[in-house]
Amino acid sequence: MTKVGITQLIPQRAPIQMVDELVCVDSDRAETSYEVKAGNFLIDHEILAEVGLIEHIAQSASALAGYKALKAGASEPPVGLIGEIKRFHCYRCPRVGEVLRTTIQMGAELAGVTLLSGEVRVQEELLADTQMKIFVPS
Amino acid sequence: MLLDNRYYQLISQEIAEGKGCFRIRLLPDCEVYRGHFPGNPVCPGVCQIELIKECASRLTGRDLRIQTVQQCRLTALASPTVCPELEVDVLASPAEGGFLVKASISDAAQKYVDFKGEMNCQEA
Repeated sequence: MTKVGITQLIPQRAPIQMVDELVCVDSDRAETSYEVKAGNFLIDHEILAEVGLIEHIAQSASALAGYKALKAGASEPPVGLIGEIKRFHCYRCPRVGEVLRTTIQMGAELAGVTLLSGEVRVQEELLADTQMKIFVPS
Repeated sequence: MLLDNRYYQLISQEIAEGKGCFRIRLLPDCEVYRGHFPGNPVCPGVCQIELIKECASRLTGRDLRIQTVQQCRLTALASPTVCPELEVDVLASPAEGGFLVKASISDAAQKYVDFKGEMNCQEA
């Protein structure tokens, strides 16, 4: 796929920008990567807090939504907010320097609310998974 | 605690029998708003959840970590302008290896967060 800078795909910025790259897109599936950085707002003693994994999943979905919006001709990525989190499991929190690989599966969209599921891995190890609803205020 | 005196300030707390009521003030100058979002400060939902975790840690006297979020609904948009002060109500009941935590964040006008999940104690 064509490389697009992450700042064109998501509206979040430092110190809470939590996707480095949209690695690939296959219709409603996407994969992202993020290297956990020391300057991130959610780092506690070199470890990313559990909620950092939730935010990273939400921003991964945001990157896919931004990619689709860009392809459809939008100039700015949509600002999506987390509406609901369901069945989130945190198995381990990553440390600074570890690279997260995350897969997102987007589901149906209804009245500005999109359902999705996400899984975060470091290499083969599953760190977290969740379901989520993202809301884009119109 | 990650967000104490950074994202919020504790104004008062009342704790009794597994139940806690915490009043907090959101800090409008918190650095997180530089990125969430530029020119449009909105409380990140995940910071609200971390706030609940820190209040649950105060309530139980343990350093808690989030194991699961069974369900968390973010029902209204929050920001330091919309809701400069918030009330965090937390209920923690002992469960295997930790606590089942039910919590909400609200002010006089509305409810912002409804949370249910499991938290366990970090090893020392």
